[in-house]
Amino acid sequence: MRRFLAAVLSAAALAAVAACGGTSSEEPGTTESGPRKVTVGVIPIVDVAPIYLGKEKGFFSARGIDLELVTAQGGAAIVPGVLSGDFQFGFSNITSLMIAQTKNVPVKIVANGAASTGVPGKDFGGVVVGKDSPIATAAALAGRKVAVNTLKNIGDTTVRESVRKAGGDPGGIQFVEIPFPDMPAALESGQVDAAWVVEPQLSAVKAAGGTVIASNFTDTAPNLTIAAYFAGTKLIADDPDLVGRFTEAIEESLAYADAHPDEVRAVLSSYTKISEEVRAALILPKWPTEVDRASLERLSELGRADGIFGDATPDLAALLP
Amino acid sequence: MSRTWSYGLAGLAGFVALLEVIPRAGLVPAGYLPPAAEIAVALGGELTDVAFWVALRDTLQGWVLGLLLAASAGIALGLLIGAVPVLRELTASTIEFLRPIPSVALIPLVVVLYGASLQSKLVLVVYAAFWQMLVQVLYGVRDVDPVADETARAYGLGRGARIVHVLWPTALPYVMTGLRLAAAVALILCVTGELVIGVPGLGARIAVAQSSGAVPDLYALIVVTGLLGVAINVGARAVERHALRWHQSVRGEVAV
Repeated sequence: MRRFLAAVLSAAALAAVAACGGTSSEEPGTTESGPRKVTVGVIPIVDVAPIYLGKEKGFFSARGIDLELVTAQGGAAIVPGVLSGDFQFGFSNITSLMIAQTKNVPVKIVANGAASTGVPGKDFGGVVVGKDSPIATAAALAGRKVAVNTLKNIGDTTVRESVRKAGGDPGGIQFVEIPFPDMPAALESGQVDAAWVVEPQLSAVKAAGGTVIASNFTDTAPNLTIAAYFAGTKLIADDPDLVGRFTEAIEESLAYADAHPDEVRAVLSSYTKISEEVRAALILPKWPTEVDRASLERLSELGRADGIFGDATPDLAALLP
Repeated sequence: MSRTWSYGLAGLAGFVALLEVIPRAGLVPAGYLPPAAEIAVALGGELTDVAFWVALRDTLQGWVLGLLLAASAGIALGLLIGAVPVLRELTASTIEFLRPIPSVALIPLVVVLYGASLQSKLVLVVYAAFWQMLVQVLYGVRDVDPVADETARAYGLGRGARIVHVLWPTALPYVMTGLRLAAAVALILCVTGELVIGVPGLGARIAVAQSSGAVPDLYALIVVTGLLGVAINVGARAVERHALRWHQSVRGEVAV
């Protein structure tokens, strides 16, 4: 059901964009009095903790932004929301933004989102196998069933790279699309041989006796940028001042979050239901203020080799700020 | 009446007991279906959380607004289409074509149009509940006794008076059935929209609990939506009995 929806949603989003080049909602002009209301579409996961923390710390209100965070169930609902003007900004993973860019969806990154820790075995995402699995290395994944949350996206691209690095043949992997929350159960019941999970499911699998056999983000690039905040190009052209203030506030939030992991763990309780024990132990992503351009080039190359972008090549210059 | 209630409660107690025993006996992994006691504790936690009550309010708001829109549109259009034979023939095939389309199939469209907003939820709710109302109203109008209608006409009642005195009383039991069905369907679509799109409400809270791996909370919220469904059904039946207290179906029920 979700897989079907994700596919239809992205198709519908593209159709809507092609049909009208950004829809009709009028941007409310900057009001002279009082802060400007800004709505951001986010996914209720660990990666977006800095924006919640930054809101709490007043980094946005200090810049005249009255921030409202709306949680959507994945990027597929966020991109259309940004294009229709329901959200001024959105949060999405990089590969999805690249796919959008190659289809001429008018979006552009305005700030960094989240990045890999760069530490193999201690990243916030990884390839895991269940308890007592005979698979010990990524090379052994050839010909096996591996769960990813979305096919033809950042998950399968980076997992293939892990297998390649370990000396296996990535061509024979059968990727299966399963939402992150369902992966621990899929692994336990043997529906898949391995799964690419992120926190908090990574902690859940480890607690159930599973092991991390590869850190697919660090195998792809040393400091892989995973996700970013983006806006429609129309807003960027019409209100550069607002976009600038938002970018500043996000960057302050990212730096603050990176320096205060305990506060990050605390703020998680405000928008997720991750238990206290898991919150205390889970591996947080890194939140650098800058997008790592080299890692994006690597991701783009790998994606192109996998055929994710069709015949197109993402134009990173058009996507990056 | 009291017997129905006690039987119902006994059934519920049996269900809760099963839910407690099955995971503890290891028939299903307790990590994915916690025992009833754990769900109850999580439910207690929910009840003390302000965010839970906000979510409940959001869901009820979508339900009430959606049901009101669907019911008024269904009744108005149903009476109009039912009363004008030409309209009925013109619309019959279209209604039969549109009616079975599941509301969730519209999710991609409403996401593009309205994003994760109340409007998205309302479109889904109204689309699903409207057909329940419309079709019942059409049946109701068709059920009008031609002799009664002719008699009213012979006594010189105008179109408006005939609608009030002949058509409406005949259609009312059908309208009430439609309303009861629409109320349940509206709740389902409300929660589904929240769950899939992420519109604020109980459904979105279920999705967050799921992505956080908070399994007991997940089931506690599911229990809440189930109880909401029961409450809505009980309420709808009460409204129905009140509105139809003159009708033989209800008078018969009371006499027993």
